[in-house]
Amino acid sequence: MSARGQVQLDGIVKKHGAFAALKGIDFEIKPGEFFALLGPSGSGKSTTLRILAGLDAPTSGRILVDGEDVTGADARERDVAMVFQSYALYPHMTVFENIAFPLEMAKRPKAEIGPAVREAAAKVKIEHLLDRKPGQLSGGQQQRCALARAIVRKARLFLLDEPLSNLDAKLRLETRVELKKLQRSLGVTAVYVTHDQEEAMTLADRMAVFMEGEIRQIGRPADVFAQPNSIEVAAFIGSPPMNLIPARYQDGSVLIGGRRLPTMLQTHGERDVVVGVRPSAVRFEADGIPATVEVVENLGDAAILDMSLAGTALRARYDRFPLPREGDAMGVTVRPEDIHLFDPVSRRRL
Amino acid sequence: MTAKRLRLGILIGVSGLFLLAWIFPILWSLLNAFKTEQDVLAYPPKLVFSPTLDAFRDVLFGATSILPNLASSFIISIGTTIVTMALAIPAAYALARLRIPGKRWAGFYVLATQMLPPVGIIIPYFLILRNIGWIDTYQGIILIYLSFSLPFAIWLLVSYFEDIPFEMEEAAFLDGASRLKTLRRIILPQVQGGVAVTVVFVFLNAWNEFLFAVVLSGNTVRPVTIAMFNFVSVEQTLWAKLAAVSALAMLPVIVLGVVAQKHIVKGLTVGAVKGGGRR
Repeated sequence: MSARGQVQLDGIVKKHGAFAALKGIDFEIKPGEFFALLGPSGSGKSTTLRILAGLDAPTSGRILVDGEDVTGADARERDVAMVFQSYALYPHMTVFENIAFPLEMAKRPKAEIGPAVREAAAKVKIEHLLDRKPGQLSGGQQQRCALARAIVRKARLFLLDEPLSNLDAKLRLETRVELKKLQRSLGVTAVYVTHDQEEAMTLADRMAVFMEGEIRQIGRPADVFAQPNSIEVAAFIGSPPMNLIPARYQDGSVLIGGRRLPTMLQTHGERDVVVGVRPSAVRFEADGIPATVEVVENLGDAAILDMSLAGTALRARYDRFPLPREGDAMGVTVRPEDIHLFDPVSRRRL
Repeated sequence: MTAKRLRLGILIGVSGLFLLAWIFPILWSLLNAFKTEQDVLAYPPKLVFSPTLDAFRDVLFGATSILPNLASSFIISIGTTIVTMALAIPAAYALARLRIPGKRWAGFYVLATQMLPPVGIIIPYFLILRNIGWIDTYQGIILIYLSFSLPFAIWLLVSYFEDIPFEMEEAAFLDGASRLKTLRRIILPQVQGGVAVTVVFVFLNAWNEFLFAVVLSGNTVRPVTIAMFNFVSVEQTLWAKLAAVSALAMLPVIVLGVVAQKHIVKGLTVGAVKGGGRR
């Protein structure tokens, strides 16, 4: 059981005519891992999931599941289960029939199907809704029904295509936690597509950041957050997004607003760089670089300050009360370990 | 308020007029079916008369019984409907779903066949059937009916299939269903309204067809639309019997319509995919 659900993608390319939707995707997922495919819409993450599911065929490349080449195999031969963004419940069947459908297709004996359906329904807490039709369920209940249908067969792979995006904000947070618990308790490999970096950060053991048909970075969410390897990844991960300020690097420090900020990078020489600073890493000190508060967005327990610093915009998280007012002048600084440096030409991390 | 009432009154009045114009020949015919031949021709028309089932008895069990013709009509209509649906459902599904080169042209061709005036093709059809010896045979007339019912059924069904989101099918594939099983278990139950509508139309067209039947049939295959004219001759027209046959010929169509109505309404209430699934 534990060895099931190992996935390997080798040089997956998908072309639509001249347009390359995927330009060579490689990654490996370990059994039992929660792996997120994160990226903006049109970045190729959903296409990758569909290729993994067998719903689309790659133009070239190989897909291996548990060491077996499934590149040419039909979706139904792959033993994978999927939750769709739209849930894709069968509207003419009851919840029970929906959940039972994969077992029926697998020709499991009737005596086995009933208990298995009830067990799956109980896991997602919809055992009292088995006689309803999908049209009589709320959005959250429909989503649970789709989850139950996916877990009932105990497939070796569990694919989720933006499963939370049709839920309202509060329900989304609740379901997120339950989804993680569910995956843990089942010990099943999960591949999760999302454009919401927060979902990927909280759910995934590891994640792949997709952009323009390529994987830009793979790693543990915390590592990707702490060490984004390019400007694009840095700008995509984190909310509010990282400040990216063009500046001049000189012998182990950067020049911003006429002041020198020491960096971790300690090389001699001078060059143009892009300085990345997370809003939460901005510190306020009276003798810091002078900046003017332009807009205060009060979040309740903290605020996001939109500031102007030597002609460039800077967003900072501020959690001391009382909050500053618009127009106030404040001194800001950043610790060397919180400064990310990028090459403005290659856009890679320095 | 009064303006609104006035408008409603006019609306009801005008619809009533249309209804009257539509229902008058049917009522007239139905009433005649229960009259004697003398009463039919009475002048001024008799609104009050003693109803009789003589006409029905004569056309059903008399010397010129139309029972064989009703049977003939049923064989043709049911045969046409079964073969049409058996071919149209997979064809419409394919047109709606699969990526086939020339799909749009196929769709246009299907529609174009509907634009041909039937009289223009009746002579070639006659020659074809005569050459293969299928004049006055069920297979011959069903084959010809297929040539217009099939494109029509496909065209009607495609739109119903297109309304089913792709994801629904993909979910079924991942659940382990084959394409045929998906069609049968997932797609067809959701388009049953469309199938019901199509069945009604195809059956209706085959049941009411006259022009092709009169040219391509004979004494063996003689649907009720043709047999009706047994009661119209040079010497006289047996109005009561003609009316009785008309009433009998209408009956199956009305029954089918009433039965299918339930399914048609059911077909409209489907829809449990949130956010629309079409790519």
